[in-house]
Amino acid sequence: MADGPLIVQSDKTILLEVDHPQATEARHAIAAFAELERAPEHMHSYRLTPLGLWNARAAGIDAEKVLDTLLTYSRFPVPHSLLIDVEETMARYGRLRLEKDPIHGLVMRTDDYYVLEEVVRAKKVEPLLGPRIDPLTVVVHSSQRGALKQLLLKIGWPAEDLAGYVDGTPHPIALLEEGWTLRPYQHLAVENFWAGGSGVVVLPCGAGKTLVGAAAMATSSTTTLILVTNTVSARQWKDELLKRTTLTEGEIGEYSGAVKEVRPVTIATYQVLTAKRGGLFPHLELLDANNWGLIIYDEVHLLPAPVFRMTADLQARRRLGLTATLVREDGREGEVFSLIGPKRYDAPWKDIESQGYIAPADCVEVRVDLPRDERMAYAMADDGDKYRLCATSETKTAVVEALVAQHAGEQLLVIGQYIDQLDEIAERLNAPVIKGDTKVKERQRLFDAFRRGEVSTLVVSKVANFSIDLPEASVAIQVSGSFGSRQEEAQRLGRLLRPKADGRSARFYTLVARDTLDADFAAKRQRFLAEQGYAYRILDAKDIGGASE
Amino acid sequence: MSSLKVLTKALAGRSDASLRSLLLVRPDLAEPPAVGFAALAARATSRASMSRALDSLTAPQLQVLETLHLDTDVDAGIAAGAADLAGYLRGGTVAGVQSILAELAERALIHPWPEDSDPSVLPQYLPVSSLKDVIGAHPAGLGRSYRAFAQAGSAVWGPHLVAVAADLRSHGAQIAPAATPLEAAAALAGWVEQFANLDHLLLGAPEAAAALLSRFATGPIGSVPPSARGGALLHANLDDDGGTALGWLVSRGLLVPIDDEHVELPAEVSALVRGGWLVADFSPEPPAVELKQASVAVRNNASVSAIAELLRTTADLVAAVSAAPVATLRTGGVGVREVRRLASALRVDSASAAFHLELAAMASLVVLDVDTSRWVARADGWLSRPRPEQWLWLASAWLASDRVPALVGAASSLASAGTGINALAAEAQRPEAPALRRRVLAAMAELGAAGAAAPAGASGSGQGPAKAPVLDAAAVLARFRWHHPRQVRRVVKLLPGFLAEAELLGITGAGVLTPPGSAVAQQRWEAALAQLAETLPAALEHVILQGDLTAVAPGYLSPALAGELALLADAEGQGPATIFRFSAASIRRALDAGRTGADIAAFLSKHSATPVPQPLDYLVRDTAARHGHLKVGAASSFVICEDESLLAGLPGQPAFAALGLRLLAPTAAVSTASVQVLAAALAAAGLAPAMLDPADNVLSVRRRAVALPPPGLAPYERPGSGQGPGGTDSDAEASDGADSDSVDAALALLRSRPAWQPHGAEAAPALVLETLGQAIRRRRMVRMSVVDSSGNTEELAVLPLSLSGGRVRTYDEQGERERVFSIHRIMDVELEPAIDPKEDPHG
Repeated sequence: MADGPLIVQSDKTILLEVDHPQATEARHAIAAFAELERAPEHMHSYRLTPLGLWNARAAGIDAEKVLDTLLTYSRFPVPHSLLIDVEETMARYGRLRLEKDPIHGLVMRTDDYYVLEEVVRAKKVEPLLGPRIDPLTVVVHSSQRGALKQLLLKIGWPAEDLAGYVDGTPHPIALLEEGWTLRPYQHLAVENFWAGGSGVVVLPCGAGKTLVGAAAMATSSTTTLILVTNTVSARQWKDELLKRTTLTEGEIGEYSGAVKEVRPVTIATYQVLTAKRGGLFPHLELLDANNWGLIIYDEVHLLPAPVFRMTADLQARRRLGLTATLVREDGREGEVFSLIGPKRYDAPWKDIESQGYIAPADCVEVRVDLPRDERMAYAMADDGDKYRLCATSETKTAVVEALVAQHAGEQLLVIGQYIDQLDEIAERLNAPVIKGDTKVKERQRLFDAFRRGEVSTLVVSKVANFSIDLPEASVAIQVSGSFGSRQEEAQRLGRLLRPKADGRSARFYTLVARDTLDADFAAKRQRFLAEQGYAYRILDAKDIGGASE
Repeated sequence: MSSLKVLTKALAGRSDASLRSLLLVRPDLAEPPAVGFAALAARATSRASMSRALDSLTAPQLQVLETLHLDTDVDAGIAAGAADLAGYLRGGTVAGVQSILAELAERALIHPWPEDSDPSVLPQYLPVSSLKDVIGAHPAGLGRSYRAFAQAGSAVWGPHLVAVAADLRSHGAQIAPAATPLEAAAALAGWVEQFANLDHLLLGAPEAAAALLSRFATGPIGSVPPSARGGALLHANLDDDGGTALGWLVSRGLLVPIDDEHVELPAEVSALVRGGWLVADFSPEPPAVELKQASVAVRNNASVSAIAELLRTTADLVAAVSAAPVATLRTGGVGVREVRRLASALRVDSASAAFHLELAAMASLVVLDVDTSRWVARADGWLSRPRPEQWLWLASAWLASDRVPALVGAASSLASAGTGINALAAEAQRPEAPALRRRVLAAMAELGAAGAAAPAGASGSGQGPAKAPVLDAAAVLARFRWHHPRQVRRVVKLLPGFLAEAELLGITGAGVLTPPGSAVAQQRWEAALAQLAETLPAALEHVILQGDLTAVAPGYLSPALAGELALLADAEGQGPATIFRFSAASIRRALDAGRTGADIAAFLSKHSATPVPQPLDYLVRDTAARHGHLKVGAASSFVICEDESLLAGLPGQPAFAALGLRLLAPTAAVSTASVQVLAAALAAAGLAPAMLDPADNVLSVRRRAVALPPPGLAPYERPGSGQGPGGTDSDAEASDGADSDSVDAALALLRSRPAWQPHGAEAAPALVLETLGQAIRRRRMVRMSVVDSSGNTEELAVLPLSLSGGRVRTYDEQGERERVFSIHRIMDVELEPAIDPKEDPHG
């Protein structure tokens, strides 16, 4: 007990000292039941949550193992109340089981009469249940499987789902590993996912989440529905699948605003699914259109609320969620867990970086001073306008110019929130701009030109936040963002993380107006990345363009 | 026969060693020293002292005493011995009972009788006469006899017994005919006696009857379920018993309704219920309890983490209270809102914050400043101590405190309040708490020792990890019940709180008494310190700084470092490691407190185990560079004047030299003088100033904190707290108050006087009371000499009727009237010889 790498806190966080000789061992031991919360350079912090502990139970780890791990690796005595709490929490899992009954269909069983009695009497649970077969068994409406699981989780009696999944229509899919192989962590992610049945895989941007999806499809070898954020991303998925798997053009359909094809593998956008006409969702039936054996949710952190509700009805199908940042600004991470499934794989960004699979990144915060007149305007502005005023300061444009000049010859993105500002910057840099009203075709053309190196500087709005694969981009300059969104910051950095051909490291600049709301939001935005170990250097705008940068 | 005289003689005849042990087990007899044996006997038989003495008896001692009380008659001089009593006690042996009787005699609760008995046979004993006043209405949980019911004079019970007896007889029971209540009582007693056992008696009874009767094992009074109330019970008879077990029993006289809501089990039926024994659960040895076992590693883990957490939270609390004193409510105590404020400062929940506040108050780390009615921190003496001493300070304070933190939040007894008891409110005070805590801990230590011994022998392998017994509340309570049966009622509510607090204090870990805990319980302070010093890790002098602007303290930080970091950054989280988060606001706070940017940078690099991350360095420099844009100074008044030249001339004038005038701007100046003084000075110089609304001036009047003497000594170091450091083990009972010095003094004083001094100041009233009480019970005349208000002595013979409130009511046969005398006016009293033996029921 004298000198372990862990410090177990009474507030249920666990600190892991990264430089400790036993750190790797301890990390593997606790990863099974604790959630990685922050991963700065020296001390990673994990959190013990009921969800995490129940996941561990689901994976066959019992309370004794957890306690033993904590006591073995802890440097200090572990708070006794925490040990008791872990034991009691884990004991709640699996008291209720969802099972397939040959006669009654889906049923909920228990060995503990009182637990069932308590649950059955819960007001919200009651309508989801059918008749009571015997004191220990009750019928569950099969359409309510997801809703029931979610509710049970909420009232603290998580059910063990032993009812299994529908197989779906078989469809042969295989990976074409020609000149490339699946990386070890991708293998592990797919294995964990498949063993768990459903769940979320969290990998950094640029670490090859699409391949995890493709490998999952290959393992499943059934018809697959892929839900993505937008059409550009849908095309990217299609290209990637064509390149990496045995699937052919004719087997992959696109279901979007423009095209509505249902094929064995169908890629649909969230937007089209949630399009509402006359109070109805006309495209929702796509979910039942084919006997899907696997549903993949790309960028699951963006899953819109209606899709959430639909997903509740799909509990009998295997579901895979993919994301880089399981941080929802609306705080609905819990719903992702209970509807898509628990987190099956998670790796700190820096770990993947140190293995060389994503490019190292250098994050720089450049602080600019507002000129006198802008400061006055800022001080007098309404609260609603303040952020826009400081974020779109003129001085930023000058700094962007200086930075672009400094990185001449590199593929460079300028990312911002406000269209006026982007237009102005584009004009000054003489670079094309992609924003919300740019046609999909035009976007494709510009992105292709950028990938080929014909265009070296692109000015983009938030349309390029996600899922746009620009492997050669190595410098990004963020001039403004959507307030304090942590995941946006991470996703924007993610655009740069594809490993570069020459092994260069990426450079991410964010321009911040000092002493304003901009600075406060920047601090908030950076928190996710800082906790992933990306330390921001801070530069003064005055120092740009001078010296050796 | 005077019990007091006999006891006096018995005490005088004891050896010094025997007297010393008496004074040790009954410390109230030694302090203040009694002036003679008569006074000692009088004090020993006083209600208060007897009550205390009974409180300290164990279950078997109390059971033997109760049995002796029931089997003897003090007034008639009918004594009983071990051989008689053993027959009433299930599992009792003559030798065992005799040794308990000897212990009781040693405590002066009983005395041998007759005085000149043959030393070769087993002695017979009588309880002291005041025992019946303190032993309670139902000794040994026994109800009244049928005869007592008949005699009690109620207009209801007499006819009831007669009716029941007649009813039984008319239904063919073998019962003697009875016409009067007394005859009916005798008849019922005789009828019940015919039955060999309970099953025989309950032949044909509803099934629930046996279970119902078994609930009368500890007390004779039972409460009637609401459904059976309403007078129906009294009229239950054999033809119509309502079909219930209760009706069945009442209609046969086996339970007697004493009012509409209660029934009493007559003593004769008790005997059958208890299988012929008076005490069915006599156990000379403490009951063995099966205890769960926890490994020593788990215990140590739990206790050391609790101790570390306790010290950390207490230090935080002291810091929070010194930053902002805690206000009290007008109704007493600290309000919920203040407790919540503390809770958020300590990052714990409200209940736990209330406990820590209470604990800090027990240890005098926070004290009430009577001038401001606020609790302020006075913890310098504590903060500077090494951690083991800090812990001992808290633990010993807890042990000795009459506060019961567990009561905080419990329903208040104040009818109007309707809310819980507030922290630090007087309602959470229990004077008996220290003694109860000590006794609970003693019971736990004993249990622990017993539990540890047993399984070691049982397992035999010695292979598995070391185990120790888990002391759950039920087991502790059972042990406590054996040791102090009369106090169990008081402790039963407080016990869960005590145990939870002991766990928080690390006196127990995972329910197991820890070595430092048991050392503290026995007041072996040095041993506790030594054991603790080994387990608490040393303080760290470094933190780990990270790029996300946090500093992680990987363990316990030295107080100086922790204090400085708390200034520079905001603490987060709760546990052995504290996380400090830096922000521009927190750095500014440090700058406000007088640190400079360079100071902070130097401090960080000195105490960082890793290089200072660039963002943190930048944050410090950037914040420091921009600190002080606004400058604030103090002034008492100001002058505004549009005429710049006039204003510019003012500071230089000798007449205004004392005003401390200073130009802030061409048209504004400030002064250190008050508005009135400034205005007067300007007016005197003929400048005729206009005074602005005084509300514009904010005068900061800060109250000077009242200096209280710093508590330099920890509770365990103060005189009179146990035997102090380096003391040896001794009987825990002894430390209830008497120490050996005062016992010696008391003994010396006793031996300096003749044995019997009937007119000793302390003895006389006791003797008078005893004689009067005896006369009332036996309805005998007394002859007494009384002094009236003018000092004349009157001799008279009267019949005492009742005794209460320091007065005796008597009937004067000669004058044919009632007379009331104050006890203190009665000089002497003697029983008249019995005139008619029949009148004395015991005769």
